Amino acid sequence: MSGIDACLVEAMELPGARGAAVVDWTSGLALGTAGEAAGGDSETAAAESAELARMAAEHGTFAPGPGRHRRNAQGQDDKGLPVEDVIITTRTDYHLLRYVETSFDSSVFLHLWLDRDQGNLALARLRLAELAERLVLG
Amino acid sequence: MTTATLVPPPPPLSPMLARLADERATGALLRDHGTLYLDDGQVVHAESPAAPGLEVLLDGRLPQEGWQEAFDLAGPDGRVGRYLVDSGRLADGELELAHLGVLFDAAYFVLGPGGGPTRFRHGVAHWMGPVRPVPTRVLARECLRRRELLDALWPYPETDDSPVVRADTDFPYPVTRRQQDVLDLADGVRTPADIARLLGRAAFHTLVDVRRLAAVGAVATPQETPVPAPVALPQWMPQVTEDPDVALLRRLRNALEAL
Repeated sequence: MSGIDACLVEAMELPGARGAAVVDWTSGLALGTAGEAAGGDSETAAAESAELARMAAEHGTFAPGPGRHRRNAQGQDDKGLPVEDVIITTRTDYHLLRYVETSFDSSVFLHLWLDRDQGNLALARLRLAELAERLVLG
Repeated sequence: MTTATLVPPPPPLSPMLARLADERATGALLRDHGTLYLDDGQVVHAESPAAPGLEVLLDGRLPQEGWQEAFDLAGPDGRVGRYLVDSGRLADGELELAHLGVLFDAAYFVLGPGGGPTRFRHGVAHWMGPVRPVPTRVLARECLRRRELLDALWPYPETDDSPVVRADTDFPYPVTRRQQDVLDLADGVRTPADIARLLGRAAFHTLVDVRRLAAVGAVATPQETPVPAPVALPQWMPQVTEDPDVALLRRLRNALEAL
């Protein structure tokens, strides 16, 4: 099984998982989906979650504080994304958006949709971070 | 009963692409702005002069020797993608994300309007080989969605292929870090495609940044003509432009003009 599909299958094994997707936040394209689509339509879900992910990643309000920038060997700011994840809590669900850090230029994140009663947010958050890393490191 | 006055949206898939998908064709679809490669009716690769290729995107990740080795050993069998993963050069998901990014990026230009006539060469395969095949309908739909996204941001398509010119002002426009990278390379000569290649980024993603920058006024909008209403082509047009030599002649003319 391929990298993206394997990652989505594993995400769907988390307790309370209802849907998962790998989405590009610049274009709003879903590169892979599994389970149900939040809101009923996977194309709309990808475009809307991408808009949220883009805002969180790009707006200065959510940038990490001064002195906490990661620097590379040349002393420049690391290419790493400033935001690691975004959590949305509704009356019935959780939505977890986890940014995927790649060795090349990209704007990809994992979107996991969880049932609030059955899901475990802390566990899902840790697991999704691990899955995002394994997706690109193998 | 009233007659519906709504004009139906244009079909996202050209008849030729639909037929090739139905026939589960394998080969290369050639247009003015690049090539789509089909395998068993699905799109497995795309390349366009307007979009940076995988080697540009992965520059810094995969050295030239890595490409050369994969090309020498797996190129003849058309399995370079598979080889890069099997030999441990790239992770499975890493290749998929990069390759899909390049595929959708190039396809946007190949399938764009004004791409000239289309011809198909049966049996031609790309040396990358299948990585994560994309159904033609999904690809065509995404290309249309991307065009609509750009026009929703700032409805001036000339922004896409004109030199990027910074606005002559000290006004502190709100720009993001990624947009600042684009602005830093805007010398009034480079087009968004040139800037994308220098940054090792997808061309479409750079078009998004440039249209956003134009919308806030941080770069000039080349020509103040909003998107015109689509003009319906007469029925006989596709038959005439089906002639494969026209695409070749156009490319020749463009190449001569570029000298």
